[in-house]
Parts: sequence; structure tokens; C-alpha cells
Amino acid sequence: MQDLLYFSQQLINGLTIGSAYALIAIGYTMVYGIIGMINFAHGEIYMIGAYTALIAITGLTALGLAWLPLILIVALVCAIIVSSTMGWAVERVAYRPVRGRHRLIPLISAIGMSIFLQNYVHLAQGSRNIGFPLLIEGGFKFGSDGHFEMSLSYMQITIFVTTLICMTVLSLFISRSRTGRACRAVSQDLGMASLLGIDTNRIISATFIIGAALAAVAGLLLGMYYGSVDPLFGFIAGLKAFTAAVLGGIGSIPGAMLGGLILGVSESMTSGYLSGEYKDVVSFGLLILILLFKPTGLLGKPEVEKI
Amino acid sequence: MTTSLKKLVIAVSTSVALMGAGQATADIKIGIAGPMTGPVAQYGDMQFSGARMAIEQINANGGVMGEKLVGVEYDDVCDPKQAVTVANRMVNDGVRYVIGHLCSSSTQPASDIYEDEGILMITPASTSPEITERGYELVFRTIGLDSMQGPVAANYIASQNPKRVAIVHDKQQYGEGIATAVRDTLKEKGVEIAMFEGVTAGAKDFSSLVTKLKQANVDFVYFGGYHPELGLILRQARQADLDTKFMGPEGVGNKDINTIAGEAAEGLLVTLPPSFDEKEENKDLVKAFEDKGEDPSGPFVLTSYAAVQLVADGIEAAQSKDPFDVAAALRSGTFETPIGTVEYDKAGDMKSFEFVVYEWHSDGSKTPVN
Repeated sequence: MQDLLYFSQQLINGLTIGSAYALIAIGYTMVYGIIGMINFAHGEIYMIGAYTALIAITGLTALGLAWLPLILIVALVCAIIVSSTMGWAVERVAYRPVRGRHRLIPLISAIGMSIFLQNYVHLAQGSRNIGFPLLIEGGFKFGSDGHFEMSLSYMQITIFVTTLICMTVLSLFISRSRTGRACRAVSQDLGMASLLGIDTNRIISATFIIGAALAAVAGLLLGMYYGSVDPLFGFIAGLKAFTAAVLGGIGSIPGAMLGGLILGVSESMTSGYLSGEYKDVVSFGLLILILLFKPTGLLGKPEVEKI
Repeated sequence: MTTSLKKLVIAVSTSVALMGAGQATADIKIGIAGPMTGPVAQYGDMQFSGARMAIEQINANGGVMGEKLVGVEYDDVCDPKQAVTVANRMVNDGVRYVIGHLCSSSTQPASDIYEDEGILMITPASTSPEITERGYELVFRTIGLDSMQGPVAANYIASQNPKRVAIVHDKQQYGEGIATAVRDTLKEKGVEIAMFEGVTAGAKDFSSLVTKLKQANVDFVYFGGYHPELGLILRQARQADLDTKFMGPEGVGNKDINTIAGEAAEGLLVTLPPSFDEKEENKDLVKAFEDKGEDPSGPFVLTSYAAVQLVADGIEAAQSKDPFDVAAALRSGTFETPIGTVEYDKAGDMKSFEFVVYEWHSDGSKTPVN
């Protein structure tokens, strides 16, 4: 009985982290799907989202606002606005001028952007870890068995629910809306879409904005869940989310979701049953294994190879 | 083009001449090296503030052998590569006495250069035993060693009679070193160690670790590492209702842990050098710091003060400004400093230095535990 509880608890831990990874992974996968480049500055966009949310929360609390839902919504909106603007600006400044060149050039430009943003936050916010105030406390407890009892915190529920809403909205957006249809068209063939009158520049900007907005949501959620932010916050998360995107099949949105969840669960199971030290070994080992047998990832389409 | 080049040549030669003139006056340069920026800059602040105060007070009392001390400050960002650059700059700047560095990983490579170049170094903060294990003649410290701190923590843990102890570390030289020392001492005392596990420095998610600690049914957790990780572990543990005692080394004992862990930092146990600022004989010194608007309570403020004072006392005792004579004088004499009576052994370590167990509070204050 206790083993089962322990397993379920680790599963919950893993799914929580995994769904946040999935939110970030969407940004990588959508950009790759449309222009075939890897936006290495995406992790930094997520980090900036977390910082913005923290600044907004601190500001609102200082103003004496106490109603939690309002604080969270305002923080979320601020984070989305700042991150989206940043995502849009990064594309305009660093990627658009080099689009269509050799594929290494945008990649180097992206790495440069990532270093720039990281150091900018270092200078602007200092390099110390800054704590997030504890806003959502408590949770459900069940299955107490002697000393071990399983818990599902309200924070974890918030992460699941928010992720679920974001994913549903995104899927509807991509499959139903006019812009969504244009996105799909551009991802199939950029040149042809442009010939048919789709403003491809606008669609590419929209992709960056959507990805950045989801990263900002993840920034707020994970910032609150973990409890602190620092300028390197985005680097590791970005790497994990990128892995999740590749694992699920880069370019595929359901793949990013699946990849995120698998990665999260494999991490928590490894730390739970083996040792925390092997967490990254197992995650990246899994990535190599999957790529060996399915080079396009779990849900990736076999034809991709563009440019 | 040529005129501007000429101007440049003149400017450079004038400044070189001026620098030369600066060296010609008989001041004693004290190089102070530590992090002014970066993740552990708050520890560097303590070091600089202590050393500055000592230089100021020594000069006010007439200097050393009739000469004034001049502090020259360098930023090593707690980065080993930067520390080597700083050490080379000191050599070029003609510094012959160094207070620093702060991080053991910086002190170690820098001290190689100082020893080769005949520069005396006193670190007020580096606790890694390896620094003084290499038989260097010019390397000293005004702080204890990790190998002293681990047993202090382990003895305290054993005295609490815990049933099952977990030891977690951050896989780095400092953290894992202390964690291993704690584990070994606990084993000797027959305390059961339920878990010995590493986490990745810089990681944020400790939910799996917390769940594991909960299931292992431990009642005491020792963490070897720094505050960013322990802060998060504390916070995530309290949220998951894991209610054990936590303990860490001096690397977790600063106020930043409160901004990360919040209420969860209450009751954390930390081994620290004793609060020298609370000693009766340091009352005037503490007041001097407070008059300047500085906080003397950090663990490295008065150790830095003592380091500068030891350089000055060493020069006086040797009646020579040669670093090798000063080093010999430091090894043979007994010196009264704000951190107590200092006597050095052959390696350059203090013959006695105690660590004390403190209980940390959620407002950033601490009280000694007995």
C-alpha cells in the first residue's frame, strides 16, 4: 500500500513538472515547425516571464492588494505582455535579418541572443536567487499509511489545470482560427503560403508571440511552484523543454505535450527509485534511445527535412 | 593622425611616470581579492568591509613601521579563472600581501601564483583543507577547515539521538566534502544513515527528493552545499509537510536563505564561526563598524579584519617587509586579534578555531544552540 502511494506521489510530482515542460516545449516546436530553426533564446523568454510575474506580484502586494486571484491574473497578464513583446522583438532583431541564410547562422544568432538576455537580467536584477512569495498553500491529503501520506497541493492542481486550459485553447486556435490555418499552411510550405497571399512575416511573428506567451505562463507557474528565480533559471528549463520537444517529435504540438510529460515522469521516477544524481542521465539517455529507434521523435512526421 | 598618436604616447608615458611615482612613496600595498559581483557577492562585501576597517584603523594608529597601508581591491567573481587573472595583476601591481580569496576554488589556483612570486596570502574565508595541505610557505588563513566543521555538525546531530539521518549534498568540492565528513563521523558514532544522495547545483525542483525523504522516514537531514538549493529544499519540504530538522554548513547561513525559504527557514541549524562581534572585547570595534553604517555580524567581516591585522603585526614582529620574514614571524609568534588569540602551525592553519551550532530564524537572525 505504501509503495503504491509512494509511486503515485512521484507520478504526481513528475506530471506537474512535465506539464510545465510541455508549455515551454510548445515554443520550441512551433518555431521549428514553421521556420525550421531552434530558438535557443526561448528559455530566457521563460525566465523573463518569471521575473516579470515576480515583480508584478511584489508590486501589487506592496500596494496593499490582497485578493489572490486578482494578483495572479494581473501578474499573468504582465508576464505574458512582457514575454510576448520580448519574443516578438527577438525575432525581429536577431532572426528575421538572417532568415533564409545557411541554417547555422540563425542558430548562432539565437545562442547570442540567449547569452545577451541572460546577462541583461544579471545586470538589471542582480545575480542572487530571489524568492517568490508563497501564494497558493495547502492541498489535499489522502491515503495516510503510517508515516507516509500522499499529497496533491493546490499549486500542483493549478499547474495541471492551467496547462490543460492553455493546451486546449492552443489546439482550438491552431485547428479552427484563420491565423491558425495560416500557421499550418506556412509550416507546410512557406514559399507556397506566401504566394497564396498569406503574410508569412506576420504568421512567423505570431508564432513567436504565442510561444513566448505560453513560456510566460510556465514562468509564473514554475516560479511559484519552485519558490525562487535567478538569471540562469531559463537555461536548464530551456534545455529540458527542448529535449521534451525533440523527444515528442520536434515540429509536432501534441508531441511536445507528450514529450514534456514523459520527461517529467522519467525524472521524478529516477530520483524516486534510483537517485537524484542520475535524473539527467536517465532523461537524456532516454532521448538518445528514442532518437536511435525513431529519429523523428515519438509523434514526429517522417518527411520534415526542410531548407 | 600623427598628432593624436603623439598625444597618446605622451599620455601613456605620463601615466606610467605617475604610476612609478606612486610606487616610490613608501606605502605598503595590501591586495584584497574577493567577489564584488556574482552569486556570492554578499560574502565578498563582508570581506572588503572588514579589511577596509582594519587598514583605516591601523593607519590612524600610525601605520606599520612608520608607513601607511594602502588597500587595493580586486574582483574575482568567485571564479577560478578570474582569480588567476587577479593574482597576476597583483604581481604586476607590486602587491606583496594579499587578503583573500574568498571561495576555496579561487584561493587554490591563486595561491600557486602567490607562492611562486613571493607574495604572502591570508584567506579569511576559504575552508577547503587542500589549500594548506601543499606545504606552501606563504599561505595562511584566519578561518577553520571543513574537516573541523563536519565533526562539529556530526557531534551535534549524534547528541540529538535521531533515529534515521539523511545526508544530501550538491556534488561540489565544498558541499560533498563537508557531507562526507559528517557521514564518516556519524558512522563512527553508530548513527544510522538512511540516505546519502547528491543533487545538482542550480536545480530547482526538489519534489522527488522531498517525497523520498518523507518515505525514508528520516528525522534529521544534513545538507552540504549553499543556500540557493537548501532554501528551495526547505520550502518544498515544508509545503509537503515534511517536518524534520535540517542542518547545513556556513555556506547556507546568510540572509538570502530567508528570501527563498521564508518561514521554512525557522529552526534551521547552521554551523558557523562564532559571532566574534558579540564578544565583549570587540565592543569598540563593533561600534566603529556601526558608525560607518556597516554590519560587523557577517562570518567573514572580523576574520578579514584579523587577516589585515596579522599582516601588520607580522611585519612589526619581523621588523622586515620581506614576505618570507613576515611568514616566519607569523609562524613563531602569538597574536591578539578580534577573532581571539592566533597561533599558526607549520601548514598555515590556526592551531585552534571553533565552529558553533546556531539556530537560524525566519527573520534572518540566529541564536547559539547548546
